[in-house]
Amino acid sequence: MAAYIEARNVNLTFRPPNRAPVRALYGFDIDVREGELLSIVGPSGCGKSTFLNILLGLIKPDSGQISMRGKAISGPGPDRAMVFQEFGLLPWRTVQSNIELGLELKGVPAETRHKVSRELIEMVGLGGFEAHYPHELSGGMKQRVGLARALATDPDVLLMDEPFAALDAQTRDLMQVELLRIWNQARKTMLFVTHQIDEAIYLSDRVLVMTKRPGHAKKIFDIALPRPRDYEMRVTPEFNELKLEIWHALKDEITV
Amino acid sequence: MTPDGVPQIPFLERNRKVALGLLAVVLFFGAWQAAFLYFPFNPLFISKPNLIFAGLADLITSGELLYDLRVSAVPFLYGFSAAVVVGVSIGILMGWRVRVGYALDPLMTVFYASPLVALAPLVIVFFGVGVAGKAIIIFLLSVFPFIFNAYAGVRAVDRLLINVVRSLGGTEKDLYLKVIVPSVLPYLVAGARIAVGRALIGVLVGEFFAASEGIGYAIARFGDLFALDKMFACILAVMIIAVVMTEGIRWAERAAFPWRVGQ
Repeated sequence: MAAYIEARNVNLTFRPPNRAPVRALYGFDIDVREGELLSIVGPSGCGKSTFLNILLGLIKPDSGQISMRGKAISGPGPDRAMVFQEFGLLPWRTVQSNIELGLELKGVPAETRHKVSRELIEMVGLGGFEAHYPHELSGGMKQRVGLARALATDPDVLLMDEPFAALDAQTRDLMQVELLRIWNQARKTMLFVTHQIDEAIYLSDRVLVMTKRPGHAKKIFDIALPRPRDYEMRVTPEFNELKLEIWHALKDEITV
Repeated sequence: MTPDGVPQIPFLERNRKVALGLLAVVLFFGAWQAAFLYFPFNPLFISKPNLIFAGLADLITSGELLYDLRVSAVPFLYGFSAAVVVGVSIGILMGWRVRVGYALDPLMTVFYASPLVALAPLVIVFFGVGVAGKAIIIFLLSVFPFIFNAYAGVRAVDRLLINVVRSLGGTEKDLYLKVIVPSVLPYLVAGARIAVGRALIGVLVGEFFAASEGIGYAIARFGDLFALDKMFACILAVMIIAVVMTEGIRWAERAAFPWRVGQ
């Protein structure tokens, strides 16, 4: 049986004008199970964000097959949504109007849009900030908006491209807890790209380690830690052992 | 103290930006007036504020000023409107089509930086002494801020926002309406503020060279007649109009783009 999301032998080379081509992905394979939270870690520039963009349908690979529920992905679709590292909020729209963007683009009537955005604003804890503009929000709040916007169109898969990398350490910890709560509530399949091994283990059912560029899957780790997870879990021996194993898989790929 | 215990900030302190600005204006006119207590006053070479204000009152009550302003407003409106339409179109094209941008950038920069006022006599020769000639001078002076600001605005559109709208199923039209237009608009308003000043110069220059009425003509004529109080009164009127227009645009900008406040 085919996996929920399946990528086979995906290759992509960037050819920027006036510069040498860059091989981003080379023979990349992945199987994603329905409803799981899968993290992808890898060295900078290994193509993990590129792969999310391919899944999202914004970039076309040079070759290889990518399918979701057995259907090839050929462009953006309402079954997938992305949470971006730099938030990507429209600065001229309020919190509420940013959250409703996807629904608006789908032509959903205003009344339904407001109903959905009200629920999501509560869910991500932004009650009272509906009419604020992005520049009035902290980084953590901006990403809550980004998350709510991605959830608004009710996609089956949530793609998260280093969503907490632009946040300070404490906010990041809080957002991880929030994300798990929301994941529990919304029950989406999530692909989470990160640089942080801690974050990957804490959140995920499985962690995929990628090689350096041109990136492909190196090793996949099952995270058998029980759920619900709490902050204290990060200091248990099991957690640290996983961290060490993943680190060993990752460190040969990192060049400074 | 206010009821909630916050100390009341004195009126002058709350409005000190406006108060200090006004104070400087008042001091300027005061110093000008006071200077003639020490220097001999010759109305053939200079005027002083009390005479200028009297002259201004005169021109207003006689209806002369309003008439001249209305005459000048016609080429201003034609020239400025054409500058908006043509400037924005060229600027957006330059930003959207990389090759057009590369091709036109140096040429446009040369025109923008050069003293186009020097071409005014030529324009009058080509297009006559009527509204058309003046409108073209005004157009030439005010089109470039629109070109360059539209160009900069399109280039400054955040690629990420384009990707966001695309990924949520947005069409080309959505990209245009929901990302590009709102990104470029504030640039155009900023361009309009610069263009207004240049367009007013165009009005005066056009009428200095060839006119029988209009505010620029009035300034030149009063100068020739050594009626310096009225000449300065007309200049003052133009200054006030310039300030009102640029400040009006600034105010409209704050009202229309609340998301830019604090950026």
